[in-house]
Amino acid sequence: MSIVEFQNVTRIYKSGDHEQKALDNVNLTLEEGKFIVILGPSGAGKSTLLNMLGGLDSPTSGTITVNGKDISTLNQNELADYRASTVGFVFQFYNLIPTLTVLENVALVKEISKDPLDAKKMLSEVGLADHAQNFPAELSGGEQQRVSIARALAKNPKILLCDEPTGALDSETGVLVLKLLLSMARNYGKTIVAVTHNQNIAKMADVVIRVKNGKIKSYEEQEHPMSAEEVEW
Amino acid sequence: MLIRKLFRTAWNYKSQFISMIIMIAIGVGVFLGFNIEWKSLEADGYSYLEDTNYADFRLYAETGFTEEDIKAVQEIAGVEAATRYLAVNVGIKDTKKSLALNVSENYTVSTMLVMEGAEYDETSDGIWLSDKFAAANGIAIGDTLTTVYTGLEISGKVIGLVKSGEQMICVADENQLMPDYETFGFMYISPEKLEEALGFAFYPQINVISGLSKEELEEAVKDALGKTVQVLSKDVHVAYAGIKSEAEEGKTMGSILPVLFLAIAILTMITTMHRIAANEKVQIGTLKALGFRDSRILRHYTSYGFVIGLFGTLLGIALGYGIAGLIVSPTGMMSTYLDMPDWSLVMPGFCYPIIVFTIVILTFISFLSVKKMLKGTAADALRPYTPKAMKKSVFEKLPFWEKLPFGTKWNVRDIVRHKTRSAMTLVGVVGCMLLLVGGLGMKDTMAAFMDLLDNGISNYKTRINLADTSDNAAAMELAGKVDGDWQASLGISYEGKTITMEVHDEDQNKLRFLNEDNELVRLSDDGVYLCLRLKDTAEIGDMIEFSPYGSEETYQVRVAGYLRSLMSEAIIMTDTYADRVGIEYHIGAIFTDVESEEIESSAIISGKQDKDMIMDTYDSFMEIMNLMVWLFVVAAIVLGIVVLYNLGVMSYLERHRELATLKVLGFRDKHIGKLLISQNIWLTVLGVLIGLPGGVAVLYVLITSLVSEYELCLTLGVLTYSVSILVTFGVSLMVGLMVAKKNKKIDMVEALKGAE
Repeated sequence: MSIVEFQNVTRIYKSGDHEQKALDNVNLTLEEGKFIVILGPSGAGKSTLLNMLGGLDSPTSGTITVNGKDISTLNQNELADYRASTVGFVFQFYNLIPTLTVLENVALVKEISKDPLDAKKMLSEVGLADHAQNFPAELSGGEQQRVSIARALAKNPKILLCDEPTGALDSETGVLVLKLLLSMARNYGKTIVAVTHNQNIAKMADVVIRVKNGKIKSYEEQEHPMSAEEVEW
Repeated sequence: MLIRKLFRTAWNYKSQFISMIIMIAIGVGVFLGFNIEWKSLEADGYSYLEDTNYADFRLYAETGFTEEDIKAVQEIAGVEAATRYLAVNVGIKDTKKSLALNVSENYTVSTMLVMEGAEYDETSDGIWLSDKFAAANGIAIGDTLTTVYTGLEISGKVIGLVKSGEQMICVADENQLMPDYETFGFMYISPEKLEEALGFAFYPQINVISGLSKEELEEAVKDALGKTVQVLSKDVHVAYAGIKSEAEEGKTMGSILPVLFLAIAILTMITTMHRIAANEKVQIGTLKALGFRDSRILRHYTSYGFVIGLFGTLLGIALGYGIAGLIVSPTGMMSTYLDMPDWSLVMPGFCYPIIVFTIVILTFISFLSVKKMLKGTAADALRPYTPKAMKKSVFEKLPFWEKLPFGTKWNVRDIVRHKTRSAMTLVGVVGCMLLLVGGLGMKDTMAAFMDLLDNGISNYKTRINLADTSDNAAAMELAGKVDGDWQASLGISYEGKTITMEVHDEDQNKLRFLNEDNELVRLSDDGVYLCLRLKDTAEIGDMIEFSPYGSEETYQVRVAGYLRSLMSEAIIMTDTYADRVGIEYHIGAIFTDVESEEIESSAIISGKQDKDMIMDTYDSFMEIMNLMVWLFVVAAIVLGIVVLYNLGVMSYLERHRELATLKVLGFRDKHIGKLLISQNIWLTVLGVLIGLPGGVAVLYVLITSLVSEYELCLTLGVLTYSVSILVTFGVSLMVGLMVAKKNKKIDMVEALKGAE
């Protein structure tokens, strides 16, 4: 069943007289429960795609339907509600709130989510129950990314959006984080959309989409994705 | 190239740059404003007094000085010039207006400055009239003026419009607070004309210019005249004392407020420069990596502080002259008090080094901020600035901490994490509150003072002033006829100070008396009352000693209590007690309910004043007060807005990334705005809690040092409290909303790039 549908989506950025087409008439359908990787060089439009999907940005033209709802015409408040209920983010630089403890960072989503999962439970699932009272700055990068995963899942979203989730981590930690991300997403039945230029991550995906110059260059379903251990990092 | 960068960076941080320039301009402006004010008053006032041969000493003899007396005084070694002098209040015929009549016999001392018309001529038949009185009453040169003094008419043509140092503060007597040229002015006539009108020469005063000390002159006069006469130095004369006390007030104002403003400006500079330097750290690192030497980079960033300091100070100098001009100018606040020809503004010498020092310290602050960012290798400098890692504060040990909502925790930790910024916000709010409570409280206090004066102690309709030549028996007879009470005032020496002794006949209760708690009390006949300013000098029941001014005699009296003497610093007693002790006095005024028109003129009456007219003279004083209050309120609001906005923007910049994260997570703008504003509101609550008692303390300092000549009772109305609190919260909320609005514009995508 499809959960995301892009129809003729175009995004143009204007700066002065200069126009740049970040997305050019993109049509795309994503299936629920899949691990989808979007690959492409810098400036290809993959982050724009992710931002559109995450409700951080709206298309210049075209429609984006998520979970049966057109999000391309939502106003700022509706977009905020959409982000709160439907999507969870995992960023390259974790983006934890430095003045909240690890547990508080996860529990934070209770303020906005209608159906949040238990913060403590999520923390134990990412293996950080012992660090609940620490501040983010006291954790390693990998640990911070695990908190970020716990926070994203605690909102109980339909889709997990990851922007270079291992970009700031060494490869060993990256593998661990990816493994965790995948297993948790599968356990909770989430769709994962990850943007990366790391070809190795693509090997683990159910679907690999390649983007270039704002257009979808290829859409490839992998019948037998590799596990994290199988991939050569 | 770096210069170009300087201007572009300044543009990027325009709200910080502008707010720092404003703060420094206000700090320097207020500092210079009040200091230029007092210096100008001293310079213009004293030089004017010198120009009109203002007397250093005044000798008094009620019965008048003879020609031999003046000759003897003129011959005293050390006396540069001396003249027999007359200064009495005379009424203008058929009006309630009056004039101080001045005659300087040999016109070497206490002369006048002719603004228009005829120069002085000792044989002239004309009148030289106060130009301000003439303007206020539509009198022109050539008009005829008839005055009445102890039943005698003195009439003549106005031949000149003048000013005089002796009459620089033109008030009828010590009960008049401010000049009111519509009802009271002054005039000069020639000695010949005076003699013609009175039929004899009468000069109860000798004015002396001399460098001698008061004691030396007293001794010399005693030797020369063979008797003791009262000698008063210029320190107690209304003109000199007035300028001196205004200058003192200016000095106080020039030291309290500016310190507050300058301190806030400098602290704001520290926090802001630190923030800018932190934001610029990567650029600083880039310059370093490119091969710029540390000294060059330091010079570049230090110039930010210099430019801010320079612009702020220049604006501040302009503002300072503006503020001083509001007070010291021919149409300024002081013009209703002082009558002088020259109002040029003069900056005290010590201000120059302070201005330079301000610029240097601001430059130094930015130097230190950048120096910190330059530490280590180019690679270190290239790494973005990371704030100190979060640690748990004492608040987290509170039992209910865990139950607090996340927003509260977030804000408490943010306050603790950014202590300087939070402290500065607090200082801004406290400053705003101090100014509001101080300013509005001043108004309340003065209004209460006026009310006490008008409705509390002054229970009469008309005040009859008696001539110096009147005798007590006639005065008492007149008092009996008009059902009035009388009062005698006398200068006395007490505890080394010159103060007033007041003897009251208060049977009719026309002048009433207040105790410390502002309750009306009747005087008892078994002792004297000390005004509150003298309270520390003796306990109730103590015997104290004083001597009438210029007399060798001393009196021992018992202290029966304390009174709030609104105006004069005085020892007060009933006539019964004064008679019992044997104190000699001369009745000077009668207070009655009989309308002034119904009181027949007589030789003992020198003038009549309606209470309403006396009270009207306070109007201009209150106008000045109101202007001051407005200045305080405007300063409070500007201070609040500038400080809070600057810090709000900084807080926003510092939390930009966190706010973007919250937004991405799905927090609505309103929710985030609330978080931002609630921190402001907490700090405002705390600031108000500190600022309220602080404001009362400022008010206390203001009324004790600024208005030391009156016994004011610190009064604060409910309205003052509520307006101060409301305005402070209003400012805080408004600024909070302005900052919160910014979060709508957060570019989530941009903000999430890069590491913290």
